[in-house]
Amino acid sequence: MGADDEVPMDDKAKRMRDLLSSFYSPDPSSAPPPTANASSRYATLDTINTTSFDPNQYMNLLVQKSNLEGLLQRHVEMAAEIKNLDTDLQMLVYENYNKFISATDTIKRMKTNIVGMEANMEQLLEKIMSVQSRSDGVNTSLFEKREHVEKLHRTRNLLRKVQFIFDLPTRLGKCIKAEAYADAVRFYTGAMPIFKAYGDSSFQDCKRASEDAVAIIIKNLQGKVFSDSESIQARAEAVMLLKQLDFPVDTLRAKLLENLEQFLLDLHLESTETTKGQVNPDEPPKQGNLPDSAPATAHGASTREFVEAVRAYRAIFPDSEKQLIKLVQDLVTKHFEAIQQHIKKPLSSADLVRMLLAWVIVARHVMVLARAAVLTVVNGSGIMWTDVLLMDEVLPEAALVDFALEAARITVKQFVASAFSCHLLKVSDALTNAEARKKDEVEEYSLQVALEASKRAVIQGSMDVLLGFRQLLDEDLGLLMKLRDLIIDWVQEGFQDFFRKLDNHFLLLSGKKCRATQGQVSEERIQGEKILAGLVLVMAQLSVFVEQNAIPRITEARFHLNEIAASFSGGGVRGYEYGPAFVPAEICRTFRAAGEKFLHLYINMRTQKISVLLRKRFTTPNWVKHKEPREVHMFVDLFLQELEVVATEVKQILPQGLQRKHHRTDSNGSTTSSRSNPLRDDKIGRSNTHRARSQLLETHLAKLFKQKMEIFTKVEHTQESVLTTVIKLCLKSLQEFVRLQTFNRSGFQQIQLDIQFLRTTLKETADDEAAVDFLLDEVIVAAAERCLDPIPLEQPILDKLIQAKLAKT
Amino acid sequence: MQGGSTGIGYGLKYQVKPRKTSTRPYKILQIRNPNSVSISYFQARCIADVKADTDHTSFITGTLSLKEENEVHLIRLSSGGTELVCEGLFSHPNEIWDLASCPFDQRIFSTVFSSGDSYGAAVWQMPELYGQLNSPQLERVASLDAHSSKIKSILWWPSGKHDKLISIDEQNLFLWSLDSSRKTAQVKSQESAGMLHYLSGGAWDPHDVNSVASTCESSIQFWDLRTMMKTNSIEHAHVRNIDFDSKKKYMLVTAEDEFGIHIWDLRMPKAPVLELPGHAH
Repeated sequence: MGADDEVPMDDKAKRMRDLLSSFYSPDPSSAPPPTANASSRYATLDTINTTSFDPNQYMNLLVQKSNLEGLLQRHVEMAAEIKNLDTDLQMLVYENYNKFISATDTIKRMKTNIVGMEANMEQLLEKIMSVQSRSDGVNTSLFEKREHVEKLHRTRNLLRKVQFIFDLPTRLGKCIKAEAYADAVRFYTGAMPIFKAYGDSSFQDCKRASEDAVAIIIKNLQGKVFSDSESIQARAEAVMLLKQLDFPVDTLRAKLLENLEQFLLDLHLESTETTKGQVNPDEPPKQGNLPDSAPATAHGASTREFVEAVRAYRAIFPDSEKQLIKLVQDLVTKHFEAIQQHIKKPLSSADLVRMLLAWVIVARHVMVLARAAVLTVVNGSGIMWTDVLLMDEVLPEAALVDFALEAARITVKQFVASAFSCHLLKVSDALTNAEARKKDEVEEYSLQVALEASKRAVIQGSMDVLLGFRQLLDEDLGLLMKLRDLIIDWVQEGFQDFFRKLDNHFLLLSGKKCRATQGQVSEERIQGEKILAGLVLVMAQLSVFVEQNAIPRITEARFHLNEIAASFSGGGVRGYEYGPAFVPAEICRTFRAAGEKFLHLYINMRTQKISVLLRKRFTTPNWVKHKEPREVHMFVDLFLQELEVVATEVKQILPQGLQRKHHRTDSNGSTTSSRSNPLRDDKIGRSNTHRARSQLLETHLAKLFKQKMEIFTKVEHTQESVLTTVIKLCLKSLQEFVRLQTFNRSGFQQIQLDIQFLRTTLKETADDEAAVDFLLDEVIVAAAERCLDPIPLEQPILDKLIQAKLAKT
Repeated sequence: MQGGSTGIGYGLKYQVKPRKTSTRPYKILQIRNPNSVSISYFQARCIADVKADTDHTSFITGTLSLKEENEVHLIRLSSGGTELVCEGLFSHPNEIWDLASCPFDQRIFSTVFSSGDSYGAAVWQMPELYGQLNSPQLERVASLDAHSSKIKSILWWPSGKHDKLISIDEQNLFLWSLDSSRKTAQVKSQESAGMLHYLSGGAWDPHDVNSVASTCESSIQFWDLRTMMKTNSIEHAHVRNIDFDSKKKYMLVTAEDEFGIHIWDLRMPKAPVLELPGHAH
């Protein structure tokens, strides 16, 4: 029922409330707090301010919960609240009304204000129109003038340009003076289009002048490019400028390349000069160290310069690695050539070693350079290029290093070879020098001197070579490290070769001179035979020396070398490989054979000479019509003279043999006893029966053969042995010559006399008395056989003639 | 009886000789080494093989005896090869210093002889042997007497039937044309070796019939027979004897005066190709 009452009131109140709440809604929370505070004690009484407020429920709840007092109080509170709300509402209405009024007022005022505006606006329009018409008038009136001004301006610009062009030569000149080449180039390139367009007509002179200036600039720039004193950057800039000037940079590059090559040549010259400077071996030894080390450093320095130049070049022309590599290769080859040339010169081995070291330094420089060059190429192109191409780029470097190494190997090898050939030359020089010296002054002991000199040369030279190589090996150089083993092998081979060559050389010396001496061709060789024979003897003894002395020493030294090598290579494995490289036993054998051969050659030469003498003696006279012997024939003197020469030569060179007595007992004693018998037997035999005679002869012949075996015993390297062999051979020749002749009695007697004389004299010189005696007998037997009437001289006459001869000498 | 006994004597010696020589590599020693050939109680300086005798191995030798009668012996190796038999024995008027057999007729040979002052050279023909050994006379085909100095050797045309002969004396070289049927010999041409050279022997090149080598004191000279001019020489060779290799062209072997054998190549006359030392006289 309460609800029915409240329904009409409810509509009104609700509308009211909605209005209010819509008005206050921006601040809904601020309105309820007074009620909220009051009704907060009664939780359910809060809903009075919410939208879902139910007055009936609220009333019921209020009635149920609170007592009368509370209801009364609530009523009072409620009434006060309602009052407050009503006043608030009234105030709001008033305020709104005021606003409305003021708004109407403003609208009213606006209406009145707008009325005058129209006229003003028209006025404004009128004014603007007039301004515009005026400005149009001004515009039209100024138009002509403005055009003129613009034209003038253009002309002025043109004139300025022309001025610039006309000034260009002087300006360029100034720039040249100030060395502001960059500006100059900028000016010139700016002026280029004009020159291109009008250069042929109006600006001809100007163009020519500026071109001249530019030519100067180009020249200067080129100079700058080529000058080593400029910084690399400046040179690179210069090249850039030149490029801007349309200068053919390629030719420039080529030229620079040429320059580099030239530089290379200079380098060579320099190095050769430095080495030439040191070639004087006669310099005082005190200064020896200085010139030795000088070329190495000088060489290194110049190479460094070269490297620097190449680097600059690379900076200037970044695209020319190929050429550079080629150049560097060129450098390497040239270096090697230079080195080879140096090696060919007869330097001392120490110098050679120094040279080589210097060169190795150079090679290392080159390698570093090459690597750097290639690296730049790789860096420059590596990003863009595929890996394959990169590989291709890297390859040249590897090739270059290989190339350097290869060349180094060749050089070292050549060095070894040349060291040995140098050595050989020295030895042979020692030999021939001694010979030459002998020609000048007939010195007694010249042969001995020669022998000593050559001995020394052999030993000293070998030691020098070994020492040199040891030095070389001691130097810690990367390149050499690789080659160390090879070098050692080469040295071994070199020694082997050296001795073989020495042997050959000896042979050649003897063989060649043989031809030269006896010929009538060479005027120098008139006394050549004598010298040569001596030389052969020297060589014979030298061979023995090499066999017995030099080889062991070198072998010993070589072992030292090997030890060093072993300590480096750290393995004894290679030690076994040295065997075939240098075989001392083989060399010894060769030289023993050579020694014997030379000795034989010597004997042969001597004997031949004497044989010629003897042959002349026996072929010239007519023996069938020979006169009575009056004295010992002079050929005996000549014969003895020749023997004397042999004796002196032999004495100088060869060692003395064993005791003479020993040799005497050596020969067959039976020959001495039966020696005189054959002749007598023969003579008796002739008068005897045929058979007996034949038997005698047969025994004699048998003895002849038997004896022959003993006559020519093995030749030894002693004075006596050689001399005796010569005598024996000569006597045998004598016998042969006798057998070719037919004698009358006087001829036979002459020979008997000569032989008898020889018998006494040869006893003093010859060692093997028995054999000599026997041979002399043989001569007489042969003469008797070839004699028509073999009646010997009486012993007293013989003695008398011999005494006369002895007295004469 | 005497012949028989000497025959045995020869047999012994001969058996030794060829063997000894055949072991040596070159023919010249076998032929004319003056030392090694001395037979029995005769001394001989020369021996030559009979090239024309194709059926047997035969040699002829000549004795060198100053005081006795000299003989030429024809020796034949028995079919068994073990014994040497003296097939013929011919008396010769002088000491025989050199002897050479005709290459096309086994009965013809040449000798160089001298005795004392006199010297000469002749071509002989052996008479037919009718089983008798006792020195029949040799038939003189021709005597080569144009020489003015001591004759050294006679060379026959190397092979085949040809009428040419060369005789060498100390200074000259003679080329003869021999007519054996008419028994004459004529000098075809002659050349002097020069005053300074004393020729001692020579050899005819079997490969080049126009070339002859001759030995001097210290050189070997080569002659062209067509022009009789010296073509070549090997200097500084002390040569006792010389021969060509019958198989290989240009090869030459020489026996040295003192010792050793040298082998030469004519294309390289400067130095011997090979030296064989080891002989001492």
